[in-house]
Order: sequence, then structure tokens, then C-alpha cells
Amino acid sequence: MALSREAYRELEGIVGKENISDDPALLDCYRYPLSHTAIHIGPYYRVYTPRGAAVLLPGSAEEVQGIVKLCNKYRVKFKPSSTFWSAWGFPLEDDTIQLDMRRMDRILEIDDKNNFAVVEPHVIGATLQAEAMKVGLNTHIHGPGASCSCLASATALGGLGPDTLYMGHHNENLLGVEWVMPDGEVLRVGSVGSGLGWFCCDGPGPSLKGLVRGMIGTNGAMGVFTKCAIKLYPWPGPAPLPVEGKPPAYKAVLPDNFRVYTLGFPAWKAWADSCYLIFDAGIGYVAHRQFSMFGRDLKGAMVRILSDPTKTLSDIEELLKDPEVQKMTEDMKRDYQIVLAGMTPGDIEWQDKALDKILEETGGWKVKAMLEPDLYNWSLLYMIRLGHKNLNLVYGGGYDGCFGLGGTPDFGASGEPPRVEQATAFKVEWEKKGNVVACGGDAMMGGIGGMGGGGHALWENFTHFDPADKASTEGTFEFFNATDKYGMEKGFGPGMEKMNDYARWTDGKTTPKEIRDRILGAAAQPEAFRYQRKFKETFNPNDLGDGYYRTLDDPIE
Amino acid sequence: MALKEELAGIVSSENVFDDPETLDAYSRDFSFVKPVKPRVVVKPGSADEVQALVRWANQTATPLVPVSSGPPRFHGDTVPGVPGAVIVDLSGMKKVMRIDRRNRVAMVEPGVTYSELQPELAREGLRLTTPLLPRASKSVVASLLEREPTLIPRQLWASLDPLRCNEIIWGDGHKLVTGDAGNWSSFEEAWERKQAPAGATGPGQADFYRFVSAAQGSMGIVTWASVKCEILPALHKLFFVPAQRPDDLLDFTYQLLKFRFADELLLLNNASLAAILGNGADHIKALMKELPPWVVLVGIAGRSILPEERVAYQEKDIADIAGKFGQQLVSEIPGAGSDEVLKAILNPSREPYWKLDLKGGYQDILFLTTLNRTPEFIKTMNSVAEASGYPASDIGVYIQPLHQGANVHCEFILPFDRDNPEEATRMQQLLTIASEELIEQGAFFSRPYGIWADLAYGRDAQTTMVLKKLKGIFDPNNVMNPGKLCF
Amino acid sequence: MALEDYKVDMERCSQCSYCKWIPFDQVKSWRFAKGCPSIAYNNFLSYSARGRYAVALSLLNGQSTYSDRVVDIVYKCTTCGSCDVSDKICRYNLEPLEMIHELKFRLVEDGQVLPQLTAVIEHLGKENNMMMKSGANRGDWAEGLDVKRIPGESAEVLFYAGCRFSYDEELQETARSAVTLLKNAGVDIGIMGVDESCCGGRAYDMGYKEEFTRLAENTIKAWTAAGVKTVVTPCADCFRAFSRLYPPLGAKFEILHTVQYFDRLIKEGKIKFSKTIPMRVTYHDPCHLGRQGEPYVPWEGKEKKVKNQIVVYEPRRPRYNGAWGVYDPPRDVLKSIPGLELVEMERIREYAWCCGAGGGVKEAYPDFSSWTATERIEEAKSTGAEAIVSACPWCERNFIDAINAAGEKLKVFDVTDLVKQAI
Repeated sequence: MALSREAYRELEGIVGKENISDDPALLDCYRYPLSHTAIHIGPYYRVYTPRGAAVLLPGSAEEVQGIVKLCNKYRVKFKPSSTFWSAWGFPLEDDTIQLDMRRMDRILEIDDKNNFAVVEPHVIGATLQAEAMKVGLNTHIHGPGASCSCLASATALGGLGPDTLYMGHHNENLLGVEWVMPDGEVLRVGSVGSGLGWFCCDGPGPSLKGLVRGMIGTNGAMGVFTKCAIKLYPWPGPAPLPVEGKPPAYKAVLPDNFRVYTLGFPAWKAWADSCYLIFDAGIGYVAHRQFSMFGRDLKGAMVRILSDPTKTLSDIEELLKDPEVQKMTEDMKRDYQIVLAGMTPGDIEWQDKALDKILEETGGWKVKAMLEPDLYNWSLLYMIRLGHKNLNLVYGGGYDGCFGLGGTPDFGASGEPPRVEQATAFKVEWEKKGNVVACGGDAMMGGIGGMGGGGHALWENFTHFDPADKASTEGTFEFFNATDKYGMEKGFGPGMEKMNDYARWTDGKTTPKEIRDRILGAAAQPEAFRYQRKFKETFNPNDLGDGYYRTLDDPIE
Repeated sequence: MALKEELAGIVSSENVFDDPETLDAYSRDFSFVKPVKPRVVVKPGSADEVQALVRWANQTATPLVPVSSGPPRFHGDTVPGVPGAVIVDLSGMKKVMRIDRRNRVAMVEPGVTYSELQPELAREGLRLTTPLLPRASKSVVASLLEREPTLIPRQLWASLDPLRCNEIIWGDGHKLVTGDAGNWSSFEEAWERKQAPAGATGPGQADFYRFVSAAQGSMGIVTWASVKCEILPALHKLFFVPAQRPDDLLDFTYQLLKFRFADELLLLNNASLAAILGNGADHIKALMKELPPWVVLVGIAGRSILPEERVAYQEKDIADIAGKFGQQLVSEIPGAGSDEVLKAILNPSREPYWKLDLKGGYQDILFLTTLNRTPEFIKTMNSVAEASGYPASDIGVYIQPLHQGANVHCEFILPFDRDNPEEATRMQQLLTIASEELIEQGAFFSRPYGIWADLAYGRDAQTTMVLKKLKGIFDPNNVMNPGKLCF
Repeated sequence: MALEDYKVDMERCSQCSYCKWIPFDQVKSWRFAKGCPSIAYNNFLSYSARGRYAVALSLLNGQSTYSDRVVDIVYKCTTCGSCDVSDKICRYNLEPLEMIHELKFRLVEDGQVLPQLTAVIEHLGKENNMMMKSGANRGDWAEGLDVKRIPGESAEVLFYAGCRFSYDEELQETARSAVTLLKNAGVDIGIMGVDESCCGGRAYDMGYKEEFTRLAENTIKAWTAAGVKTVVTPCADCFRAFSRLYPPLGAKFEILHTVQYFDRLIKEGKIKFSKTIPMRVTYHDPCHLGRQGEPYVPWEGKEKKVKNQIVVYEPRRPRYNGAWGVYDPPRDVLKSIPGLELVEMERIREYAWCCGAGGGVKEAYPDFSSWTATERIEEAKSTGAEAIVSACPWCERNFIDAINAAGEKLKVFDVTDLVKQAI
């Protein structure tokens, strides 16, 4: 049912005429192409997320509250999104009210004593980091990169990224939330709820942070988060970042208390050993298997292209023939990047020595080519700002992650052959069919630190395709189906490529109930989703969110 | 069927107690919370028994009060809030289910105490960071569930660290495993895949384990938990930074927190350090006079990688930082040596429990704030105490930076003679006045025991309402420790 | 190319939002991190490159039709190219600025036009200038100037003033100074005066491709007939039109901006300074001299795929991403002036914030245009500079108007003005 004129006028009264629109073409800008990476569903060629009833640009929590209350009055679903990265932020049903949180973009506070920032939804990693650096602090920038909302990451979505080892998962970093709940009531979670500031998200008593989010958030399906406090971390470098060079090959020459290395290892066991030793030593500022996203066979050539402003993708074939690039690529086969940041000269000296000791014990090495000044300074900036995240789309415009072996470093690195190699070999066969980029099978990107202080790793195997090419898109979908089946047979667990199948289906809309129930019911503990159904009934009585909130209707067993 | 027999059918008769002495022991603690005698005490031995007990409680509308730690207990949370309760004493569930050195996690049942766990961890080259001198009978799981502060702030990425996965029997009788382990179909398969119960979040889109944190047993019962351990130090030193005023120590402490230098990092005043080191009232009193008024304890550990070098550079750099702020990093202070203090803070309390030693009883006031605000709270506490006729010099102060410095646990320890009714009455009045003033000033009673519950929830109506709804979901018949918090 | 040719771009755009910001590596603050004035002012996603891709696709697919909002979305773009630079940080096979031009062309073809722009273009058709002035007065700016008149006289270098410098009385002195400076430095220079006509570049950015082509062909013909080999212009808009838009139409002239010529002459010792200018200034990179001022590289080819699905071009396609624009010559000129202190704003070079005068926005959306200029003024003020210096009369006019409207005291100069003052 389309939005009534009466409802539209009332909404207009809240946000002002200039901040609401139901123009069809404008609404089509708020639809996500599912032929593209949609994290993590499809891809479905030329399928789009449903068209909204109207788009609103609220300017304050009060306006959001007014909108949500009106949505309750008219029983209209609403969906907020801050930076609209991937399909998560887009409706599952026609005629949903879409909230573009862009106007709420202030950094309300940076407390450089107690190391936190209070931000609105449209503050992004790059801007918060730039402001934090001015006072000697830094912020965790989560996997999707510097372009994405800090608040969305901390409250509503995932929250891990290359710097998680040192700067925590955004779940861990969340110190307080202002939440316009689905019924229109405002809950301030933690110390801020008592009017005492933004320093603790738990209490009084049982922590309602647990209702805000879990391993992932509620994807905009349970109200709107309008402010949050995020823990910040030390930045022992200059502000602003001393960036030089021509686009896109920007580089930063940082003081000697920074190091960046690409580490290579002779075997996956050694790779995992090094992760554990790094966790135990407590070293590292950023640590991530980053450039592997370009693929085991291509990453050396890609690093050369990206760090040289005169080069384009057309140079790739020539570069692949270059013996030096081949050597570099081989050196980087089982790799990750690590940035060390010393708070004092003694600190960096010890971290460097500790790393050398770890390499000695594991037989690992620093990839020499990556120590060349241009590559060194390029990769240092890359890892710290994470401003090139969407290079995962560089080849043809489409990517998605599959397998997604999450857990301990040993999980992916063990098995016979190691699971990472099993996944690689499987993908190589599919690359031969021509629909995805032939990159050597292993484009596994992931952290060696999926949680603060280490302990988790992620093995998300990037698959690159062309979303404008029907065969490529559909071939990728077939590959993901096969991957999912393979992963389940092999005991890898549910694949990341199907992670959102429970919510959105092939037509871009809500997954049919029987399929959704089957998917969620197959979880190790479907009870969690039955409790979530109770949360929904209690806090979202008019069911104005969407199917991204995982619920099962049958009773808890 | 008689109550005792019904319960015996669940936990076997030798684990059901209703003798007057036992009931009396569970009817009160060291707090001012009104004593209420339970009907029965049961000691389950397994999660299945716990689940059966909770289901039984729902069928019979019987209140359950979970207790894991041994006595003495202090905050009234395990004293029944209503008559007719059954105490579920989990102290017999003592299995250390798994120690995984490589992933640095251990899985323990709720009856496992710090005293029991640390030696087992040490055999694997691990240890668990602890609260400040927990009593020997303190349950690891209960301590972490109640969000008691631990000593190494730099390792606290998450506010509930080092608590990770939990098996929870909710008040409705259903079981849920949280964290990484909640995504596994079986432990055996998980171990075969070399997985570990390391991640705390989930399953799904809620952090279920947070609902049982600081819940005083009002949401459910945790039947095992995994904890993240540290490498057992190969070299471990402790240093002091003494000062006349707490204000003088703040910038230094902030700098260490920001750099994430040091391991153990806490601020104590002379009264609390004397209570930690002293043996008997006279000794404690003497130490109070000798010790500097304030001190930061700085532990530096070298672990598996280049331990000597780590300790050396940190010692030098921390000394430089202290100097930068006009302070000194030293190994000895009048009245205390580093080895002695290190040994004390790395181990459970001697008997009697260190907070009881001076006067036989104590009342603590504990809350969260930020480090920069602690001096004003100390000032308020002192002035309220003096106005009530309580000597401010007897107040122990313990400030523990948490969550890598995002906030601090601020604790005032007020020893008093429990056997002296007048003194007890005055202390009860002081507790009320001080708590009211402190909360008015901005103290966040995140663990609202006793009278703090009304004070804390009175400031946050929406949280209270949401918590009540949540309680209705997990414990619809309100069988779990009714009468606590806002329930 | 036609709009349909960009359909693959529309489908390959991944909604990453880079188009809205300056390159993230270059973000130095929250305040000055935005790159695209259009979405910064209008807020709806549709006012970004991504949004315009989506609008175009919606129209092409017949999912929506023209509406006032669509017209607003399409024309409320300064075509500054900030999106183009930022998109290309991670993408090597998208051309958002080209697509936006094609979208404007399509709307014009379909008669979906703005009356304000129609008036300008109709006048342009009659009087060959963008200033709503009589073509007969085009040469007035040079009255009394001792300089050769082409085509009557021949000169090695043609000085092309452009519409704004020709008609804007407040700025005309800059053009006169430029001619005098070049001449005094020994350059054999001439002007076309009343015979000069609009370069067409601004019409192109408004969406009037036919009008642009007419003007370009006329100019090329006139220059060819006059034997012109080298053209120097003080206008960044004209510079970009001549250097990037004319070559595909067959033009083969050496094109220089005055700042490039000054830079060369100063380095050759042919311009020497005798005066000190004790002033702190900041330099604003005009979009058309900076990121859109990259030299034209002929290319004709097609897309192909390697490694199954990597999209490349055969032959190797030039990549315009602002890397090779004209950034250093104006800075070198300013740095060579005794006493002058050059301080940089946060957004400079390829990621400079637009002045707000381009794409027909100044004519059709004065409020948006003025806001965009004001943003730049704020950024300039944040450096502590007394003056903002540029190399484009359109930028300078927009800054002057915004400063006057706000009662600000910041001074506005062209690089030429300061060179002249220092001699």
C-alpha cells in the first residue's frame, strides 16, 4: 500500500519539504542492484531492491522519533541507512519509508582523556579518524572501509576490520547508544541513560547493549540508532596524515615509529603459528591479509598497478610476465600485512625485534618487494586509512565473499590439505568456467585479528565478477551455490555467500517464510531466533522493521 | 510430594539441605540487605540438573537464588529477596572442562574458584587476570558475570572481558549457549576443526550473555563459561608511583592507559594497600601511617616473546613517563616492597578476607566513572564520612581502570565493626547518604546492589522499563532471584 | 558516445559512496572532507554520481520518467569532476563525469531544459557569449591596449580572453594585465577582440552539446584561417575546452593557460619581480585547470576482458583521474613572488572543492552556486590567508559575489594580478 497523502504531509511536517521525496526516479537511487555485490546474497542479475514509499532525511533524533511514531500510527515499515554500503541498508518490501541518515553527520564530542568519540550516523571512518588524529587518537575502521558509517558498524552491522587486533571490534568499542526503538520510545543504553556521560554501555544491571546488537547488528530492522559513543585508540603519528603522490597511488611517509610489512610463510601451519605468536606477544597496530583480495596469482601485479599512477588494469598481463613480479607474488602466497606502531622508540624497537623472533620461529619472511619505498609508503597509508577498500570491485565491478571460514587461525590453516587450500582448489576449478576472475583461487581476505587482542581470523574468499554481464553474474551465483554445498559437505559451516538468504530472496524481497524458517531453523541454536522473535514482539509490536531481523515463530523448545 | 523429595528427585537427596544452620547461613550476608531465610538449599552437579531445577521452579512458582561463590558474601545479591526461595548453590560444579593453551581459553563450571583454576592454568603456561585479591572461595564465573573489575586494563578490549562463551539456563528453563560455541553443533566437531570458545558475541543479533551480566542471578543460571587467559609471565615486576594526592597520578595513569603500557594498573590509597598487606588491625593501622597516601601499582610482565627486553623497555619508558608528570617509578615505598605487593595482588586474599581484617566488617561503595572525575568523588566520600562521624582516613580507595581506560571502577571500602549495633546503624546511614550524594554527583552504579538499585533505576526510567520487559521474556514467571534490581 | 553506452557503467557502479567525498587518503578534517557540492547541498543520494547513474538507469529502463525532480537532479551538478577523481581511486572502468555529461545532453535533446539555461543558450546562439551581452562589445575590454589584432595582424601566440574576462568589467583589468605582461616579456602576442567568440565549454557542461560543437568548429576554423599555432588563455574553462574538448573535433593547437606561460617566463628570467607583496594567500585550483586540465590523449578502442572478467580496454585507454592536471605552475608563480606566502587549503589539486560556478549552476541555481563558493571561502579563511587566488574568472566572480553577499573581507585575486603587482 502506497503512502497516503495524509501520512506524507505529516512526515513532511516533521522533516520539512526539502527533506522528503517520493519522486520515482529519486526513489530508484535508493534501490540496490542485486546483480552487484550485495553482501552476501545472489548475485541476481538485474534485480533491484524494492522501491520505497518515500525517502526522508531526518536532521535530529527528535525528528527520527517523530517519523517512527508516525510509522507506527500508519503501520508503515521504515528502514534507516547511513552510508548505504550493500543491500543490508535497503528495504525488503515495497513502500517502505527509507531514512537516509546523511544529515545527522556530526562528531559531537571527542574526549581525548578518556578516549572516546560521540558520533551521529553519517560520520564515516575517514572523518572520525582525521579528527581523532588531531588529538593523538585513532579509530577502528571496519572492513568496508573509511567510507562507511562508524555508528552503523558499531551498532547495526558487523564491526571488525584490519585494525581490530589493536583497535578492537566495534562491538567491543561501543560505549553508549541513543536508540529510537521501533515503537518510537528513546532508549539511551549504558551510563548515558542515567545522564552520566558516554563511558560505559553496560548497566545499570543486565546490559541492554545485548539488545542493541550481537555478533552482528539488527541491520536497520529494529529502530534507528541516532548517536553512539565509540572507544578511540592512540595515534602516535602526525596529523594530518602526510600524504603525497598522484592519485590513486597516494603514499604516506610516516615517522620511524611506524613499520609496515608484508609477511610471507612457507606453509599454512607456519602462517597460523605466527598469528598465535603475534597474539601472545601483543604486537601489531593493524594486521590483515589485505592484498590477497586480488587473488593469489594477481596480487603482485595489482600492487604494482595500484601504487603507480601511470598504470592501469591494461598493464596486468604484461606485469604477470615480469619475473620480479612473479617472485613477489610467490613470496606473498601465504601472507598478511602488519603495521607496527611504537608509542615510544623503545616500544617500536621491541615490537620489531619480537616480530623478527616470530619470523625466525615460524620460518617466515618480510616480502622484500614490499619494502621498496614506494610500495612501503603506499601500503602503510592503505592499511591505516583503509581508503581504498572498494578495490575489491576493481576488476569488473562485482565481488562477494564466499566460504568465510570464521574462527581461530587454525581453523582455516588446518586440515588435510589445509581448508584454505581446499577452498582454493575448489574455486580454481570454477574459475576455469570463465565467469569469475581467474585469480588463482585464493583471494582470501581476512584479519588475523577478528577480535581485540586476537584470537579470531577470517577467511573470506573474494570472488570477482562483472555485474553488467549476465553470464558472469549468473555463473557467479552458480559458483556460490556450489560453494555453499561444498562447504557444508566439508564441514566448513554455512558459507558467507549465503549469509543473507534468510532475509532477501531472488526477487530482491523478503525470503518466503518456509525457506527462511528452514534456513534459520538449521542454525546450531535456532532458539536464539525464537528469543529474537520475542524481542521483536515486545519492542517492535507493529512489526515495522524487516526480515533482516532473524526470527523464528515456533515456540522455544 | 514434599519439597525436599521433589528436589532430591532432581539433584539426589545428598545435595538437598534444609537444616537450620545451612538455611541461616544463606539467609544473610555481610550487607545491610534484610535477611530472608530460604526453604531449601540444593547443590546441583550438572547443567541438566540446573535446567530441571529451573523447570521445576516454573511449575511450582518457586523462587530460585543462584549462588556460586562460597562465603563470606557481601552485596546482598544472594540473600533471597522473597520468602520461600530455593538456593541453587553451584559451588559443587567444579569441572575445568578445557584448557586450550594455543587459543588461550579455558572452560569452567561456576563452582571453580580462582584458587582452583590458577594452578591448573599455570600447568599449561597460562593464568587468568583476577579481581583484586578475591576471597579464596570466589567463583570465577560469578565474579565475571557480576562484572567485577580485573587488574590488567590493557587486556580488556570488551567491557566483559575476560568472560567469553557461556551456557545459560534462562529463567524459562531453556538453554542457550552464547558466543562462538553457540554456533557449533557439537564440541567434538569444533575441537576437530580446531575451533575455540574465544568469541563472546552472539549467537544471532543479540549479545545474550550481556543479559546475565550484573543480573544477580535474576535472568538465568550460567552452567559453564569460557574465559580468555593470558600467558603466564616469565618475568613479572611491580613498581609504585607514589603521590600525596590522587590528582597527581591521573595524567601519568592516563598516559599509560593511552599507550597501553603496563599490565596490572590500579590506584590505591594507603588504607586499601595497608589492608592488602597488613595482617591484623594493628599491623594495618601501622601500615596506613607508613605508606604514602596514594600509589599507582604498575605491573610489567614479560611473557613468551623476549620477556626481559619487554620488561626492560617498559620499565624505562614508564619511568620516563612518570618523570614527565613529576612522579617517580620506584620499586620500594615506605611500608611496602614490590615483591610483596606483587605476590599479594596476584593471589587470592589470605584469611580473613582483606577488607574485613581491620574491623571485622566493611561496607563498600562501588561505581563506575571516568578517571578524571575520581578526585571529586573521593572528596565527596570523605566529606560525607566526616560529617557522619566516620574517619575519612579509614576509607580504603581502590580505583581500577577498565576497558582499556574508557572508564574506571571506583570503590570506597569502609571498615566497621559489625558487632557494634551503633556503628552498624551509623554505617547504614552513611551508606545511604553517601550513595545518594555520589549518584547525584555522577557516579554510575552499574552493578546496583541493595539500595543502589532504586537510586540507579530512578534515574533511567526507559532502561528500567526495557529491562522489565526483557526479564519477562527470559523469566516470565519471575522465578529467578525475585526482588533484586528493578524486578 | 551516447547515454546508452554508459549503461554498463551504471550497472557496474557499486554504490561505494566514494563519489561524495574527496579521496579518503586526503581527508584531513571532518569539516572539509566532502568532495561533491551537489550532494553536500542537496543531500539526497540522487545528487551524487552514484545517484545520477541510478537516475539515468531508471530512465533508460523506463522505470521512471522525466519530472521536475529529475530535471533538478541532472542540472544541479557543477560538473566539477570531483566524483570522477574519487571514483577512480578504486575503479579503473567507470567514467562518471562523462556519463553525467551524456545525461545532460540527453535531457537537452529531449527538451527537458531549464528556462534560465535556455535563455543563456539562446543568447549564446545570437551573440556568441555566455554573458548575456552584445557580441559587438566583445573586444571592448582591450580598448586602448597596444597589442596585435588577429586576424588583421599575425602573431605567434593568440591571447584568448574568454567571455567572462571580455565582459566582466571588474575583472577585465586582469586580462589586460596578462596581455601586457606577456608582451613585455617578449611574447609575440595578439588578440581577436570582437572576432573572438565563446569557446563553448560552459554550454557543453550545461548539456548543450550541439551549441558547443557549433562554437568549437567556428573557433577552430577561425584559428586555422588565422594561422594560429599557440593559444594562451587566462580562463580555466576555456583552457579545458581547448585542450580537452577541441582535439576530438580535429583541433591541433598548442594550448596554454597564462599561469603556465608565466611560470615558463619566470623560470626563463623573462619576467622579473621588483616589488614585495607581503601577503598570505591561498590558491584555489579551478576544476578545469586542475583535475579536468589533463592533456588530451587520443584513443579509440573497445572494452575487452582478461583473466575472464577483468575489464580493460584495447588499446590501452587513457585514464583521466586528475593526476596530471595543471597544479604546480600557478603555485610556482606565486611562490616566486617576493614576500608572498602561499598557504594551502585542505582540499587542493585534484581533490579541490569546486567554486560553484560551473555546469550552468551559477545561472540556474544561484543559491546552490553561492553556497558552494561560500564553502570554499570558509576553507580559505581557515588557512589564515588574506586572499584567495585563482586562475579562472568564473571562480573569481563567484567568490567575489559570495564574499560581497556575506560581507566578508577576504580578497580575491587572479594569479595575473599578483604577478603584475610584483613587477
